[in-house]
Amino acid sequence: MTKHILIVDDEANVRDLLDRFLTGSGFRVTAVESADEAMRAVRQDPPHLIISDLQLEESDGLEMIAQLKSLLPDTPVILLTGVLFDPKVVREVLSGKVSAYLEKTSSLARILEEVKRLTGQ
Amino acid sequence: MKDKTIRRILGFFAVISAVLVVIAVVSVRNIKRSMTSSDWVNHTHATILEINGVLSSLRVGDAAVLTYVVTGDPQNRVASREAFSDVAEHLELAKALTRDEPAQHEELVRLETLVDERVEFSRDLLAARQSDKPDAVRTLLATDAGAEALGKIQRGVEDLTNEEMSLLDDRDRTSYVQAQTTRWTVWAGVAVDVILLGGVAWLISDDIAARRRAAAVLQEANDVLEARVRERTAALTSANERLTAENLERSWLNESQEHQLRYNQLIINSISDLVFVLTKAMNISRINPAVVRLTGFEAQDLVNKPFSSVARLADGDRAAGAALFDPIARALAEGRDLRDQPALVEDKNGRITPVRLMLFPLRDRDKVVGGVAILHLGQQSNL
Repeated sequence: MTKHILIVDDEANVRDLLDRFLTGSGFRVTAVESADEAMRAVRQDPPHLIISDLQLEESDGLEMIAQLKSLLPDTPVILLTGVLFDPKVVREVLSGKVSAYLEKTSSLARILEEVKRLTGQ
Repeated sequence: MKDKTIRRILGFFAVISAVLVVIAVVSVRNIKRSMTSSDWVNHTHATILEINGVLSSLRVGDAAVLTYVVTGDPQNRVASREAFSDVAEHLELAKALTRDEPAQHEELVRLETLVDERVEFSRDLLAARQSDKPDAVRTLLATDAGAEALGKIQRGVEDLTNEEMSLLDDRDRTSYVQAQTTRWTVWAGVAVDVILLGGVAWLISDDIAARRRAAAVLQEANDVLEARVRERTAALTSANERLTAENLERSWLNESQEHQLRYNQLIINSISDLVFVLTKAMNISRINPAVVRLTGFEAQDLVNKPFSSVARLADGDRAAGAALFDPIARALAEGRDLRDQPALVEDKNGRITPVRLMLFPLRDRDKVVGGVAILHLGQQSNL
């Protein structure tokens, strides 16, 4: 079965590149730019994985993730952000909120590796 | 290959046609010969019939004459005349039929003489009986001058009949030989044609087999070609996918780096303190908007200018600012931090603003490549 991935990022280029890459890698992708759209998308078509930016235009990515988790508690989330966190922060703060933290400068191959790990593909 | 086969097949059919023509010619010629032989057989039978007719008619005539002599019945006399007339007719016909056969013809002429003698004797007998001369009749019958002639005639007829029968046998044999020749010619021709047709069939079969082999070879070549095309297409597709992935990766790298840079820039630009990025030679390489707001200098006015042209420690003098003894330059050269040092900033109009200075050397793999000077307006500026 094709796994469904929800991408939340306010930058169109980032959304487009990730959409193309993951679709080309055999996933079904829904890409949205805001927390509201993400909530709607999750209700309409629950994803197997969520990839979210941290800093969205109208909301906080971590808050949005918490809301999404209330709807889909078992769905893994990757935080993909340009904000560089100290490993200690990642370990102590983020690990309880997201399944994985990736810097935006990570390669697509690295992102795919993490996506496959979390979707079991 | 195709033209060669067609030429061979046409050659075979030409030979078959030639054989058929030969068979036809030989058969027609033999049929003509058979017809001739048949005519000869008929002719021989007719000759035998006429020769035997001479003898039988002569005997009928003799019998009629003798009956007339005994009974005196005129009907017998008429019958005898008719019989003798038939004799003459048979004889003439026999002579006509043997006109081309001199020996038989000569024999018939000799036979005719004997027949004439016998007919003459019968006429004399009829005349004696008709004139009612019993003695003359008795004398003629006693002598029976024609009896010897009749015997000769009978032998002559038998000889001629035997000769004709012999000829008939010869002609039958000839006819049989001709029939056999015709039969053998036809069968030999048919056999040759069958063999030739077999050859044609073999040629066609061989040609079809060759075409099938060629088609199979072509198919095999096509299969190999298709396999190569498939391999090549797969390789190209793979290369294309790899290239697309690389392009995507590159685009992603550019995008993410640009994003990261923009984000870092945003952080620096949002700081209210004055931030100067310095080279190791203490020249300004970058400033944040707070510098522009406080000093009135634009970035292009300050970049590549000495840091000392806009800021110095409060206890230092301007002349020393550019010198080797500048404590800020010395700290940077030594890779030391300066923290919360009183300092002064001079704006575009020469106005001096007191600030607190912090200097952090920029290290790249343990090597100082420059520094960041942060001027805080805090309490000093309020003084």
